[in-house]
Amino acid sequence: MLKFRKLNAFYGTSHIIHDLDLDIRKGETFCLLGRNGVGKTTLLRSLLGIDVRTTGTIEFDGADISATPTHERARRGVGYVPQGREIVPGLSVLDNILLGCNARTDGQMTVPQLVWSLFPFLKDHLGRRGTNLSGGQQQQLAIARALATDPSVLVLDEPTEGIQPNIVEDIEKAIVSLNRDHGLTIILVEQKIRFARTAAHRFAILEKGRVAASGTAADLSNDLIHRHMGL
Amino acid sequence: METFVIGLSIASILFMVALGLAIIYGTMKVINLAHGEMVMIGAYVTVLATKHLGFNLYLCLPLAFLVTAGFGLVIERTVVRRLYGRLLDTLLATWGIALILQQLIRIHFGLGLFGIHIDGLGSDLQNVPVPGELQQTLHFLGANIPVYRAFIFVVALLLGAVTWWLIYRTRFGSQLRAVSVARNTAAACGVNDKRVNMLAFAYGSGLAGIAGVLVSGFKTVSPDMGTPYVVDAFLVVVAGGVGHLAGTFLSAGILGEVQSFVAMWLNDVYGRTVLFAVVILILLFKPQGLFVSRSR
Repeated sequence: MLKFRKLNAFYGTSHIIHDLDLDIRKGETFCLLGRNGVGKTTLLRSLLGIDVRTTGTIEFDGADISATPTHERARRGVGYVPQGREIVPGLSVLDNILLGCNARTDGQMTVPQLVWSLFPFLKDHLGRRGTNLSGGQQQQLAIARALATDPSVLVLDEPTEGIQPNIVEDIEKAIVSLNRDHGLTIILVEQKIRFARTAAHRFAILEKGRVAASGTAADLSNDLIHRHMGL
Repeated sequence: METFVIGLSIASILFMVALGLAIIYGTMKVINLAHGEMVMIGAYVTVLATKHLGFNLYLCLPLAFLVTAGFGLVIERTVVRRLYGRLLDTLLATWGIALILQQLIRIHFGLGLFGIHIDGLGSDLQNVPVPGELQQTLHFLGANIPVYRAFIFVVALLLGAVTWWLIYRTRFGSQLRAVSVARNTAAACGVNDKRVNMLAFAYGSGLAGIAGVLVSGFKTVSPDMGTPYVVDAFLVVVAGGVGHLAGTFLSAGILGEVQSFVAMWLNDVYGRTVLFAVVILILLFKPQGLFVSRSR
């Protein structure tokens, strides 16, 4: 479904990703692991085309999207939940969700039923400013917004980072459900190994912008984690 | 009362110019120094349309909006788009555009635009005739209110309302607000941020063009007439609080009235001096302007 070939990514003159080759298969949850600063977020931003200069190719559903503008990538089906949530200030909860509908190719401007079934509490806060929700609720709102784009692949950058524990469980359940019950392909950057083992079918550990190790969830041994992540 | 209404009309012009400037800066973080030239082009469109097409001032309002919005669109697509994120470069580029536009108008129309000659003044020192009904005075609370000045205020109110509706009640407005504070997130949600920028630039320029039409009814139309407006409009935007419609409205009202009353009691020079002093005081006590956008 998604192929990175000889991908190099740069912030200004800083070379972050080096000749990376990676395949993501349709219907799987793929987990990107690694210490801070190894290029996980940069890889996701390369996929979205956000503020990163890249060389090499990014193939999505058979088409090279490496030169495609970000909004077009969203319309092709790449949904994005950024690190830090990035709820749009000044917009209500409803408007934040509906913002995602701009990526829909069917022109619909309605909240998908899936959003209400995963995060029913949002219905009680539609008129509130999105930034006035708690951190955990904002994260759920960010996922809801990405789902409103009607994605075929959902990209999540540390979705449970800095979230209160009672909501972390809800978010994890939602992510697992999106893949297993709704067939959504998921790319997940995650620091929590426990959740990575639960949710992922396959994983890759990045080191200095390169894939240092990869395999199925069963291959994600403590030794591997200790060696590459120091945990 | 007359002074108050004249102050309102000055405030209204400031509001229209500042509103366009605020939308452009808020969305693209571009300080558009060619914005005053949109006022000037709006005024020249009025002169040409009344002279050659037989348009009255009312018809010139939408025409000037379209023409200046077109200018804005071209400027954004050809120059500004290549300079996003480079504040100093956009300042220099738009200043250059302002100078080019002024000189092109000066070279093309020269001093013979109006076909009249006033000894000692040159031939283009003229404002546009306004329709008869707008030349009347209205007796209200014992004062003589110039109808044209009240008309300017009404147009500004209408434009303010339309702009509010556009920004807070339409899909485009929601895209505009998202792009102005979270460009990448908006793009990742499918919003074509370049298109939003282009349309915002065009709309902001169009507002200045409408202000130009109204200014042409009481001020001399000349190639450099827009320059003072861009300075005053910046004062309004900064004093009102960047990115806040109500702040721009309130700030324009205060600064317009201050300038009008001081100019009436003393003279125009004192009017502008006090205007600058008021802006400094506002910024001393409210460094982020009268209104601050909430963005927790």
